Amino acid sequence: MKDEPAPLLELAGARAAYGPIEVLRGVDLRVEAGSVVALLGPNGGGKSTTMKVCAGLLPLTGGELRLAGRRVNGLAAEDAARLGVCSIPEGRGIFPNLTVRENLWVATRTGTRLRDMEEAAYTRFPMLGERRDQLAGSLSGGQQQMLALSRALGTAPAILLLDELSMGLAPMIVTQMYDTVAQLVAEGLSVLVAEQFARAVLPIADTAALMLNGRVVSVGTPGEIEDHLSSGYLGG
Amino acid sequence: MTTFLTFTLLGLVLGAVYAIAASGLVLTYNTSGIFNFAHGAQAMLGTFLYWQLAHGWGWPVWLALVVVVGVVGPAMGAALHAVIMKGLRDTADVTRIVVTVAIMLGMVFLSQWLWHPEEARVVEMFFGADAKVEFLGVVVRVHEIICLLVAAAIAVGLRMLFTRSRVGVVMRGTVDDPDLIRLNGHNPDRVAALSWAMGSTLAVLAGILITPIGGGALEANALTLLVIDAFAAAMFGRLRSIPRTFAGAMVLGLAATYVTAYFPTDWTWAGNLRVSLPMIILFVVLVLLPQDRLRGAAVRTRERYRVPTVRRAAVWGVALVAAVVLLMPLMEDTSITTFGLGMTFAIIALSLTLLTGYAGELNLAPLAFGAVATIVAFHFGITGTGLAARLTLWGILLAVLVAAVVGGLVALPALRLRGLYLALATMAFGVFLSNMVLRDTVEHTLFGVTFSLFPNGALIVPPLQLGPLDLRDPGTLLISATALFAAIAVGLVALRGSGYGRRLAAMKDSPAATAMLGQDLVRLKFGVFMLSAAIAGLGGVLMSTAAGSVSGENFAIMAGLSLVMLTVVGGIGYVSGALFGGLMSGVGFVIIIGTFNDLARATPEMATIYQTLGQVVLVATALIGMGVGKNPSGLVHDLFDGYRTLRGARPVLAGGAAAGAVLYLLALTGVIGNWWFAILTALLVMTLPALGRALMPRAVLTEEELARRRSVPPELAGIDEPYTDELRDRLDQELGLPAREGRGGPHARPAVEEGDVHAIA
Amino acid sequence: MPLLETRGITVRFGGNLAVDEVSVGIEPGRITGLIGPNGAGKTTLFNTVTGLLRPDAGQVLLDGADITRLPPARRARLGLARTFQRLELFLSLSVRDNVRVAGDIRRAGGHRADVGKETDRVLELTGLSDIADLDVSGIPTGRARVVEVARALMTSPRVLLLDEPASGQTEAETDAFARLLTGLAADGLAICLVEHDLPLVMRLCSTIHVLDYGAVIASGTPREIQESPQVIAAYIGTEEVSA
Repeated sequence: MKDEPAPLLELAGARAAYGPIEVLRGVDLRVEAGSVVALLGPNGGGKSTTMKVCAGLLPLTGGELRLAGRRVNGLAAEDAARLGVCSIPEGRGIFPNLTVRENLWVATRTGTRLRDMEEAAYTRFPMLGERRDQLAGSLSGGQQQMLALSRALGTAPAILLLDELSMGLAPMIVTQMYDTVAQLVAEGLSVLVAEQFARAVLPIADTAALMLNGRVVSVGTPGEIEDHLSSGYLGG
Repeated sequence: MTTFLTFTLLGLVLGAVYAIAASGLVLTYNTSGIFNFAHGAQAMLGTFLYWQLAHGWGWPVWLALVVVVGVVGPAMGAALHAVIMKGLRDTADVTRIVVTVAIMLGMVFLSQWLWHPEEARVVEMFFGADAKVEFLGVVVRVHEIICLLVAAAIAVGLRMLFTRSRVGVVMRGTVDDPDLIRLNGHNPDRVAALSWAMGSTLAVLAGILITPIGGGALEANALTLLVIDAFAAAMFGRLRSIPRTFAGAMVLGLAATYVTAYFPTDWTWAGNLRVSLPMIILFVVLVLLPQDRLRGAAVRTRERYRVPTVRRAAVWGVALVAAVVLLMPLMEDTSITTFGLGMTFAIIALSLTLLTGYAGELNLAPLAFGAVATIVAFHFGITGTGLAARLTLWGILLAVLVAAVVGGLVALPALRLRGLYLALATMAFGVFLSNMVLRDTVEHTLFGVTFSLFPNGALIVPPLQLGPLDLRDPGTLLISATALFAAIAVGLVALRGSGYGRRLAAMKDSPAATAMLGQDLVRLKFGVFMLSAAIAGLGGVLMSTAAGSVSGENFAIMAGLSLVMLTVVGGIGYVSGALFGGLMSGVGFVIIIGTFNDLARATPEMATIYQTLGQVVLVATALIGMGVGKNPSGLVHDLFDGYRTLRGARPVLAGGAAAGAVLYLLALTGVIGNWWFAILTALLVMTLPALGRALMPRAVLTEEELARRRSVPPELAGIDEPYTDELRDRLDQELGLPAREGRGGPHARPAVEEGDVHAIA
Repeated sequence: MPLLETRGITVRFGGNLAVDEVSVGIEPGRITGLIGPNGAGKTTLFNTVTGLLRPDAGQVLLDGADITRLPPARRARLGLARTFQRLELFLSLSVRDNVRVAGDIRRAGGHRADVGKETDRVLELTGLSDIADLDVSGIPTGRARVVEVARALMTSPRVLLLDEPASGQTEAETDAFARLLTGLAADGLAICLVEHDLPLVMRLCSTIHVLDYGAVIASGTPREIQESPQVIAAYIGTEEVSA
């Protein structure tokens, strides 16, 4: 028996449904510690649902969700967050009616002092420091994602779940955002990122998985997956 | 100038207390989405408890305050959240409102049980009413200064909490996006529990502060309604903004004192106007609110209703009239009168079936429209005098028409808004009517006409005469009311099955989709509200004639609320739910309390127990109302479901009918008393479905339920549970042995060996 | 000439530009596709066209008349019908009554027609007859989507806007649905289709508009769209890929 460490996060045959509609039909996915896994595929394929399941927002109807080898089906989102599964959901990682500073305060309690957290965020993204008392809803899309990212990092998460970081952002900003993510990965963070804008995320991914119709249809290196993309998306 | 300053100060004091109460309301509404109609009752209960500790038992004031405001207040809020509010997810607006209304009624009943209403209790001002300070020529009581200081402290405290503390920021975040809050490791349920605890504490505090200002003895209903005035203040901030709520509260407080101070004393309406001012302001604010944006939001709520066919409804209608005719020989004249009164309540309740059950809108003051119709009928619809006085048909028609028009006027400002606002508008109207119109006993002169809307505080409404039909006889009245109920009920069922009914259902389920099919929603709501007000008006006039003489009490807002609650408990989507709700609220309470009092008189040694039981029944009814959150479709829905399953079990049905007939005969021949008859019949009706399940499971249960019953693995039979015949049957089935006739009874089935033979063969 | 037309429609949510000067036309007898990544503003555009949202700028024209300020119900009566991405069925009604109520609403407005007969015809046309008497809350999503279409058709619309009608449908259901749409278009209906099933869109539509960041980045025939580098970039990334 080989003593291989269990993956940090793992879905095995995961099924999930919204009411009577089954959206995940047996998803297998592994995120090893220290790696970046990109979840690609067109809309409606089940990427966001997979992310919700991993974050504990949606219960599994079948299969397993494991954290560091332990089965954690039915884990509540707030408990997942306290265990270090930190997620930035699709397009709305911030509270628009709270100020920038207050948004940081909402971060999971991990013992980090608020002031240190603010300090770290403003150092990484100085423009957030300049707007600390502005309502987050008045920030530009890119700044909002930076704010969400800062809040996530303040809790020193074990794994970061990023859902559609690029949504509604100009291509240049997207590249910038993923540069930041790349930096964090270099610092040792594990990331599961769902993204339909595949080009942006492939350069930083260790593994890529293509989702269609509620299943992961292929897993491989970014290079391997890239070749399947066009047919997967446009059906042509 | 000093007068002005004095009144301004008094207004600010009143506003300060309103602000405390209203901010609690806004707090809970925002974190849980539930508008807490019980807010005032919580204040009332806390104040009574404070009185008990500080005055009843003579505790030091500070200790009583610490216990009531520091412990009981938060505990009450947290308990309400844990036991009831948490369970209200995925329920319709109507269910949420009714649950909090039930809590309110339950608290009022509870307080009347614990603190007998006829005893006078006075809550003293802090440091006494004589502790005064003079400031710029204005004399201020210390208590009033305390009110201002407390309100200021709360304003600052809430502001600090929400902008400077992590907990407060998380609370604000929960309002925006509960899922995102969970993703950041906070539990929105705990946030909501905290806000309920805070809201409850603020309510209790407001109650203790306002009671001595209002003066007079502590009275449960009045105090509950006093804090409800704070609803208007909360509306200024559109139930969202706490600063604007504070501003609104000040406007409210000042307006109320200025009316007292500056309206001409000979203007006969001033006193009542001051009391109803908050509700009038609530109404004005509703008119000024901008229109709600229509958004797609077909919520999958848990309420489900089945619609009967018109034919079936007609059969049931005839059966109802027949049953009443059969019951009449059993009853004394006074019971017949009471029963008739209950039936008129059931007619009023039908207005709710139409409005709430079919169209999804809410009217919290159905009795108010009954009152409007009664007043019109009294002034314009009576011929003859003395014993020969009779109500005319034209009088009733006019009364119904006016009720409908007034209904339309009341609903109009709220129709552009969500259902909650219509509920609030009707409630405001109900309170306004109780205060302004039903207390309008003095004579006014307007345009040369001298009149009084509610002369002498009681209206004598004579019975209706329609050709040969004279409703002076209680029996005739009962049967006529029952027949009218049945006719309207069948009419409503027919309406529900018509194109109009489908449009109402569509609007209730998805306003956005209905609008996109070309339906003008405001017009549809307006029409159905008027129709519903007309039905309530008709029932109201009949109620008044059945009662003979009505006072403002008959139309009190609390009575209306309990009618709404009991109708929802019965099943708001069914006309039979209206029958249940009407009979229960119209006469059920009276009968139950009366019976227990009779029992108490008959057996003095058990008197306290019986009286307590009577109170318990009242509180229990409210508990059932709170249970609506768990079973939003209502009692009759469950009962129908039970009987639907009995269709396959004819022997059980026949047995039930036979038992009912025997009971009737026993009662008719005087072998058993009426009460035993009523209780046993009710028991029979309730338990028949369960009996069916026990006696004939194969005929009654669905495949799924049978499968669930088999859920214990057969190998464990006899180990985890006793080895019964039923289990043996189950085992047989699991092993694939053929099923047999005549199961159920312990000896009904043949020996096991025969089964084995079959299996081998 | 297009039957339904938007001119420079712009919608802002706070600081975000959700729809950015969109001008598109929907022609009778054709199926026009509207595609784009998530969050591109398709549903927002639908909501603006149907009156659930007021645009910050721009006009909506139906048959040349400006309907930008009309409430939803009025637009519906002028011949605009839609389905919803998140189903908006009348859950307390049966399938038949869900369709029928659309006729009831019209009849209340003075239309004279045999609603029952018309309902049966629409149910037959959309292939729902077999489940007509079931509770709509119990049927699978794929067919629920068809119920929404049937309900919309019951208003005898001139323009039909479909918001992701095929999502949740099985392959067989999608095929039947495609045939239905083709037939409706052949009868002269103007259809606008928002859909993520791109093969379906390519198959059905004569013209496709691609939205990205709220703006139209490409318009053309399916072939033109499939070959447009901007579209590929919008969907996959910035570099050209070979299939």
